[in-house]
Amino acid sequence: MADATLVHRSLRSELRAMLASANKEWVIFRRYPSWIIAFLVWPVLFPLAYVFPARALAGPQGLALSTFSRLAGTRDYVSFIVIGTTIYMWFNITLWDVGLLLRNEQMRGTLESNWLCPVWRISILLGGSLTKLLTAIFFLAATILECRLLFGIQLLRGNLLLLLVSLILLIPCIYGLGIAFGSLVLRFQESNALVLFMRGLVAIFCGMTFPVTVLPHWMQIVAAWLPFTYAMHAIRAVSLSQANFAAVLPDLEHLLAFAIVLPIIGYAAFRFTEQRARRTGVLGHY
Amino acid sequence: MERELATVLDAPHYQAEVVADPAPDNNRTPATIVDVQGLSKIYPKKTTSGATGIWSKLGLRRSGPPEQFVAVDAISFSIQAGEIFGLLGPNGAGKTTTIRMLCTLLEPTGGLATVNGYDVQRQPNMVRQNLGAVLTGERSIYWKLTGRENLQYFAALYHIPPALAKPRINELLERLDLSARADEYVERYSTGMKQRIAIAKALLANPPVLLLDEPTTGLDPQSARNLRELILEIKREGRTILLTTHYMEEADQLCDRIGIVDTGKIIALDTPARLKASIQQLDVIQAEVENLGPGLLSEINILQGAERVMARDNESDGSCTISLHTLDSRALLPTVIDLIGTHAGRIRHVQVARPTLEDVFIALTGKQLRD
Amino acid sequence: MDYTPLTAISTRSYVRAILAIAKKDWLHFLRYPLEGMFRIIEPVMWLTPIYFLGQSFATSNGATGFAAYVGTVDYMSFVLIGGIISSYVSAVFWGMGFSLKHEMDTGVLESNWMAPVPRPLFLMGQTVASLSITSLNSVVVLFLAWRIFGFHITGHLLPALLAVVPMLVALYGFGFAFAGLVLLLKDANTMVDVANFMVIGLAGSQFPVQVLPRFLLPVALALPLTYGYDAVRGYLLNTRTLIPIHYEIVILLVFMVFMTIVGSAFFRRIERHVKMRGTLGTH
Repeated sequence: MADATLVHRSLRSELRAMLASANKEWVIFRRYPSWIIAFLVWPVLFPLAYVFPARALAGPQGLALSTFSRLAGTRDYVSFIVIGTTIYMWFNITLWDVGLLLRNEQMRGTLESNWLCPVWRISILLGGSLTKLLTAIFFLAATILECRLLFGIQLLRGNLLLLLVSLILLIPCIYGLGIAFGSLVLRFQESNALVLFMRGLVAIFCGMTFPVTVLPHWMQIVAAWLPFTYAMHAIRAVSLSQANFAAVLPDLEHLLAFAIVLPIIGYAAFRFTEQRARRTGVLGHY
Repeated sequence: MERELATVLDAPHYQAEVVADPAPDNNRTPATIVDVQGLSKIYPKKTTSGATGIWSKLGLRRSGPPEQFVAVDAISFSIQAGEIFGLLGPNGAGKTTTIRMLCTLLEPTGGLATVNGYDVQRQPNMVRQNLGAVLTGERSIYWKLTGRENLQYFAALYHIPPALAKPRINELLERLDLSARADEYVERYSTGMKQRIAIAKALLANPPVLLLDEPTTGLDPQSARNLRELILEIKREGRTILLTTHYMEEADQLCDRIGIVDTGKIIALDTPARLKASIQQLDVIQAEVENLGPGLLSEINILQGAERVMARDNESDGSCTISLHTLDSRALLPTVIDLIGTHAGRIRHVQVARPTLEDVFIALTGKQLRD
Repeated sequence: MDYTPLTAISTRSYVRAILAIAKKDWLHFLRYPLEGMFRIIEPVMWLTPIYFLGQSFATSNGATGFAAYVGTVDYMSFVLIGGIISSYVSAVFWGMGFSLKHEMDTGVLESNWMAPVPRPLFLMGQTVASLSITSLNSVVVLFLAWRIFGFHITGHLLPALLAVVPMLVALYGFGFAFAGLVLLLKDANTMVDVANFMVIGLAGSQFPVQVLPRFLLPVALALPLTYGYDAVRGYLLNTRTLIPIHYEIVILLVFMVFMTIVGSAFFRRIERHVKMRGTLGTH
């Protein structure tokens, strides 16, 4: 029995591998503390790039606010913009973090040594995503707190349960897309450009800074195929216009559908890349 | 025992130095092309993470008296025109720091160095014109440019007039066997080709002196062999070459003279043959052993007549090679074999070998060149 | 020994060296075509949310609220000019230091710095490349934006150069200092990202600085760049400027002289530091 293997695979061992991967990402995250500063600075800095133009457009004493309040259902353009940019930034962070998780391993040259291990390869990705989800929650909390302190706006208004449901439905959407994206990046390797493209879609089509109704018709059709459109609309409606369950039900239904479909797409894209890599053996290259 | 051996070795070594020097009255003969006198480099030691912030980096904030790390400790040597001079030593011995000071990338803390008569501190631009160097090997050129574009770029930086640059580039590409792929991106080259284009870059301005920092590290055996051929060829056209290496075979094969470097000092300097001759009275017993017991080495070490014993694990099969320096191998060999037997070790192979440069290094420092 | 030196230093050989450095940067730019394409698409992506933001405030008479601040209803042209100037600012922030840093990390910087050319020359070469690439980029972006969002100049192009030239010289002077700083930092990305964003934001690339809160307005007015944005718009769009436009030009000229001196002095200091500590290439 001298050569008995030490490998004992089970669901629990798979879970341990996932947590080990999460822990590794956490350790790496802590090693670069500049991110923590970024997490504190960006939530308030980024929306300002749109809040100040909005303030200029509104004119002195808000004399030109009438069009906006008619279209957006609120005169509070600051909260309106902050909700949009926060969801955008959450997605942006996920693209860089989850989407480039494997790509970074590939560039460091550690991807293959990870993939040699007898675990489900998706576990490595899921474990890393778990850590990124935790840091994203920290980011969201920081945003809410800082907006309260610095802008004096309260984002947690209206029916809190509805807000929570919208946010929870958004999680599988964002991370499903992140995983799908990460698989594509391994294949196409132009990571920066692809990140810019993906986040551009959200910034332009989903109404990050404006009510979607001002978009031309064809752009509204594109917007309808993106989960962020519904999430932004639902959260703004609940928080800024005190919408009830019935009012946001159509948004939530769409979000639920995305929450089911997008993780599946993510997994499929991952499997595709994994199998293709095994056939063509390009995994180690970059 | 270490000290005693060193003094025993020192005496013939210094005799050899005197004989070797063609002009014993002065180190600076007319043929000296690189001259290094008392060159040293002292770094302020890095303290804990707090003090490495941007302000201390800019020198705007002092955090207590800085500790010092002596990377190069007042070394002196001179290289004759046309020779290959090697600095041999383990990683971190100070070889690379020395080379960096010679090619004007690093300011010496003290001492003097000249290249072709130009002072590295006072005439850096003249030094740069007289010096070609390959420091980071394949990483010293642009991977996203073609081989030819790289050479064109550096030709402009070395102020080579276009009329001269074009034929020079073609000539070098031809000579280094890169012509066929000169217009491909460097990133598609093999490691050996990248190394060659880096050497072509160093030769561009036709400098009399060439510095090569660990030229064969990371190359496969065949490419390394070809590169050594090339280095000898470059020497034959009359250039002076200074190279660093931690491969003793390479130093032995290429260098006319070798300076053995350890902890920032040159501890021996001579031709490879004389360096080995300096410990010729020593025998080296090499035994390849399986199942090395824990107490064996110390027991061999205290044997009458054993100067020094070293063990190195053979990675491939878990066996271990014991090297024993002794003045009288015949007297000691039976005892050693017995000792290995009583420690249940199995002997695969025993030989009494001639000393190599590695043994010279061991004799001088008590350490192995490589771990 | 068959050694004959090929090096022949002359003024022309220095110019050739600068051009060679610029050409090298251009070749690298061209060899990442997708990145290059995104340098055109990304500004349009940034402008789109602003455009629709403008739409969601627009009345039948255009941006009337905005006009109350600066005297024109053409908000989009205002933003476009800001965006083009900002692309030079970003090129300085991201281009100057980081291409040096990248060369340092890959190891190729050392073989450059062993060549017999003064180090600031590398920054000059980079500046030539950066200016030409950014200008070409801006022309394309401006064309696209003109087709998509519309762009109208009501003032004069030529006097605008009076503001543009000193501003660019000052910016690249700042770039020299900044390049030195980036060489020293291990992970400068976040810092640069935030600094770039704040400078562009506070100087009013997308809005008149009058809308800034009371405590931020002095910061904006202390940035010479603010007067650059303002003066160029004043000439091109006939907007109401913060202070009389010729004072703004004087500020920009002083800024230019100051930054050129400080930038090269700072870079020299860092260069010296690197030479003593040997940070170069060892990262």
